Amino acid sequence: MAATATGRPADTRPAARKPRRRRTDRRAVGAFIVLTAPTVLGLGLFKYVAVGWSFLISFNDARGTLSIGHWTGLDNYVFLLKDEAFRSSLWMIALFTAFIVPVTFATSLALAVGINSVRRGRAFLRTAFLLPAAVSYVAASLMWKMALFNGLPSGIANSLGGLFGMQPQAWLTDTAPPLYWIVIVTLRLWLQVGLYMILFLAGLQAIPVHLYEAAALDGAGRRRAFRHITLPMLRNTSVAVLLLILIAAFQAFDEFFNLFNTGQAGNASAPVRPPLVYLYDSALGDQNYGVGSAGAFILTLIIVTVTLLQGRLVGFGRKD
Amino acid sequence: MNSALLTADAPDVFEIGDFRAQNVKNGLLAPLDDIIAPVKSDYSKPALDTATVDGKVYGVKMMDDVMMLYYRKSLLSAAGVTPPQTFDELVQAAAKLTTGGRKGLFIGSDGVGDIGYLLLWSNGADLVDPAGRTATFASPQGAAAVAGLKRLRDSKALLEGFTTDWADPSAFNQNAVAMQWSGLWAMPDIKKRHGDDFGVIPWPRYTPTGTPAVRVGGWYELVNAKGKKVEAAKKYVQWLWTQQGELQKDWCVRYGFHVPARKSIAAQTSELTAGPAKDAVGLSQQYGHSFPATWNKATTTIFTQSLVKIANGKAEAAAELAAAQTKCQAELDKQTR
Repeated sequence: MAATATGRPADTRPAARKPRRRRTDRRAVGAFIVLTAPTVLGLGLFKYVAVGWSFLISFNDARGTLSIGHWTGLDNYVFLLKDEAFRSSLWMIALFTAFIVPVTFATSLALAVGINSVRRGRAFLRTAFLLPAAVSYVAASLMWKMALFNGLPSGIANSLGGLFGMQPQAWLTDTAPPLYWIVIVTLRLWLQVGLYMILFLAGLQAIPVHLYEAAALDGAGRRRAFRHITLPMLRNTSVAVLLLILIAAFQAFDEFFNLFNTGQAGNASAPVRPPLVYLYDSALGDQNYGVGSAGAFILTLIIVTVTLLQGRLVGFGRKD
Repeated sequence: MNSALLTADAPDVFEIGDFRAQNVKNGLLAPLDDIIAPVKSDYSKPALDTATVDGKVYGVKMMDDVMMLYYRKSLLSAAGVTPPQTFDELVQAAAKLTTGGRKGLFIGSDGVGDIGYLLLWSNGADLVDPAGRTATFASPQGAAAVAGLKRLRDSKALLEGFTTDWADPSAFNQNAVAMQWSGLWAMPDIKKRHGDDFGVIPWPRYTPTGTPAVRVGGWYELVNAKGKKVEAAKKYVQWLWTQQGELQKDWCVRYGFHVPARKSIAAQTSELTAGPAKDAVGLSQQYGHSFPATWNKATTTIFTQSLVKIANGKAEAAAELAAAQTKCQAELDKQTR
């Protein structure tokens, strides 16, 4: 990135520039190429070629094969958009995102502000909340499914409920009410909140203390200081965090897959399937690579659109 | 394995538990009719059906895995119930056997397991027609039968959310249930835990006019049609799985508990000639069903998702199944044409 900035003057007419200056630019460009070539080549080979091939496959009837040749035009896209199961998975992930993004955002911000304001044990608290971020989704899902929220009276959630006279619940299979959302949401919050909290903490610590001192002198309470100093000063952090949470929500896969996977029939009996689980079932379960690829592109298009819209709305990358 | 088949490094001979007609259409599998022919009558119909596409057999069944209903004799007699013969009796028995920390019946941690298929089969319905080309599960008998899952779930006698699935006997062995759907492979463990205090029965008939059902799964040996030594591979499969009876017996009962796919070999396997194991073999021969070769992950998902919707009271059985049948038909058409 830095090199493109230094590289740009070389493109403009050199009349205004001194020759010495141009030579450094050329060397910078050379260094840029040498330094980025491995990554670009790697990306190109392992990502873009694969993405490109997958794009071609999405216009083919590719069942149990990765080769192209059975061109079917937009059939796979039409199939997916007509399929009620895929549409409801898109609708489900939209609702899930609308819920989980603000909740994750508010929880991590509250934690960061809270930890930033304590005087003793800050490092301990910070570590304690960050630690779950190092746990894998698979391990956490198994813990949630087997220890915390299993359907036995001896499960942790059911034992706790029992203290208050609750009947043991089948947390993952009961749909009236849909208790599985409690399992999914608590799991995602536990895993994600710590990381975003750290980002907010970094942002908080970059706010100059004298701003708060000046506000205090002017008689502003903690609430007003939060609204008029903390929040505006955290704007860039907030925008970045929002973006990350949003993309992570749209790409939700691991906890849905692992919580509802039975091993026998995969995710066929899951009460909810987000788009990525649907596509996993099509592409890897059923080896229907055409439909799987087409779905991946539909989903990518949606994520890019929503992200751009969000960037527009909250002003990502806008200079202060 | 199915992914490995897409590459040039696929093995010449391989075993598979979920046979796919799609691989035949893609020309990946060699037909094995000539090596099976001498012993064809020694295999059960379900064993041949799953690996048969357009009248040709593409896999030699190595072993049958029989799935059936285990019950605890002592718990049933204490509750004053006899092993259920009909679905109504099963629901009543499960309710009576639910006491304190123990539930009546375990069919899978997801509360679904294979029960959709069993309900269909036990009411004279089936997934597809005998030719494997037309989806038929939305028949009136099918729609009536799948409604049974809602009854089971609403009875609160079903164990859901157990830490292992139905293939594992833990729920039964830990006294979390009195009856469990599981496989013959679990029998040695169950015997070790409960001694003679258990028996096996088929999934009971849905109505008095239906027939009991058990599922027969298992493993096939297949030959890679694009391999370098197709003839040698076929010869090897023929030698091992149609001729070496002693090796087949050894493989089936020494390292697990399965039924040799050849009836004559199964009859000579001493481990399977007495007690519940003998009952299981008898049940599989009398009531066995297996999936047709065209029944794949996509159709499984479509069917099971409908079943869950119906069981959760989110959809009416007949209409929901009819919609699922249309979608499955489109999948079947893609595989066979």
